[in-house]
Amino acid sequence: MLPGVIGILQATEAIKLILGQGEPLIGRLLTFDALESNFRVLRVGRDKECPACSESASLDEAKVREMDYQVSCLLSIAGD
Amino acid sequence: MPRQYDQLFETVRQNIPEVDVHDLKSALDQADAKPVIIDVRERDEWEQGHVPGARFIPRGFLEMRVEEQVPEKDQPVYLYCAGGVRSIFAAQSLQQLGYTHAMSVSGGFGSWKDAGYPFDIPRQWTPDQRQRYSRHFLIPEVGEDGQGKLLDASVLLIGAGGLGSPAALYLAAAGVGKLGIVDSDEVDLSNLQRQIVHSTSRVGEPKTESARTFIGDLNPDVEVVGIQERLTADNVIELVRDYDIVVNGADNFATRYLLNDACVVLNKPIVDGSIFRFEGQVTVYQPGEGPCYRCLFPEPPPADLAPT
Repeated sequence: MLPGVIGILQATEAIKLILGQGEPLIGRLLTFDALESNFRVLRVGRDKECPACSESASLDEAKVREMDYQVSCLLSIAGD
Repeated sequence: MPRQYDQLFETVRQNIPEVDVHDLKSALDQADAKPVIIDVRERDEWEQGHVPGARFIPRGFLEMRVEEQVPEKDQPVYLYCAGGVRSIFAAQSLQQLGYTHAMSVSGGFGSWKDAGYPFDIPRQWTPDQRQRYSRHFLIPEVGEDGQGKLLDASVLLIGAGGLGSPAALYLAAAGVGKLGIVDSDEVDLSNLQRQIVHSTSRVGEPKTESARTFIGDLNPDVEVVGIQERLTADNVIELVRDYDIVVNGADNFATRYLLNDACVVLNKPIVDGSIFRFEGQVTVYQPGEGPCYRCLFPEPPPADLAPT
């Protein structure tokens, strides 16, 4: 049952993004504990030193294509 | 002998402020506040084209519906019809309902078109679509405009498994026009306890095909693109590029990082979901607006600690 709950929450978020309605879960992590019947929302923030999305990151299409994610997903901020 | 109607019209008209289409155009062009414009014509007239941003409330339903759609009664309300007659009576009704700035657009939509101003032609719905999406049409947050957005939208689902199954079914039922489904697996009997887009009769089929069968039957408006491949660094950019939104139902870390990086580069939102035993999580990674997956998890966990 749990995948149904989570999958439908994902579908709901996608619909909200398409319609431009409401507050999507950007910067918020929704957790659902099925045994405790508890929803929680945690605020999550950007990492100023993120190797993927920060100002100083140098990620581009070529780099994604070159990486071997099965071997290592590590990404350094400097570029190579 | 003058018709009583003519007398009535002239009497009503004296008490209704009138503006012309050029006034309406300049109100529309003011960037800050969108004016309230109501098209009071009949549906077939509306479907031929209407003033951009106008709301459609046919004259016959105006009194019943206007207070719901335009609750603020002291703002300017522009009413138009085809030639500026019906909108005079419509404006009178609005005055009686307490609207203080109800105006009739003289010349109506005919003059608007003659002036060469732009107009929108609304999407044409088939009778089946009107019925299928009738509940959406009634919700103000969706409506006909929203349904049009859904049908024009595309979502790439990573995995047609536990998370991807219900997500795909609800997105298809809602009328999202294009669903890409990436999955290299075949349906196994052990999947059916949770992967509800598949079925007993389709065990052994590729999951992409199984999902296409179910979705095709659920909503023929939806185009299903089955991609029976693993998501890799070689195909991720081309796949993600074609879609508006990615819904991730993949259950491994390599795919999460791969997808994250591709979506950061291509500026696409990921709706991420994950499950571990009896706990689940959902978040949206929207590049530039919030954190990405790497902001939260800079490094993959050691292999022996990673849940499967």
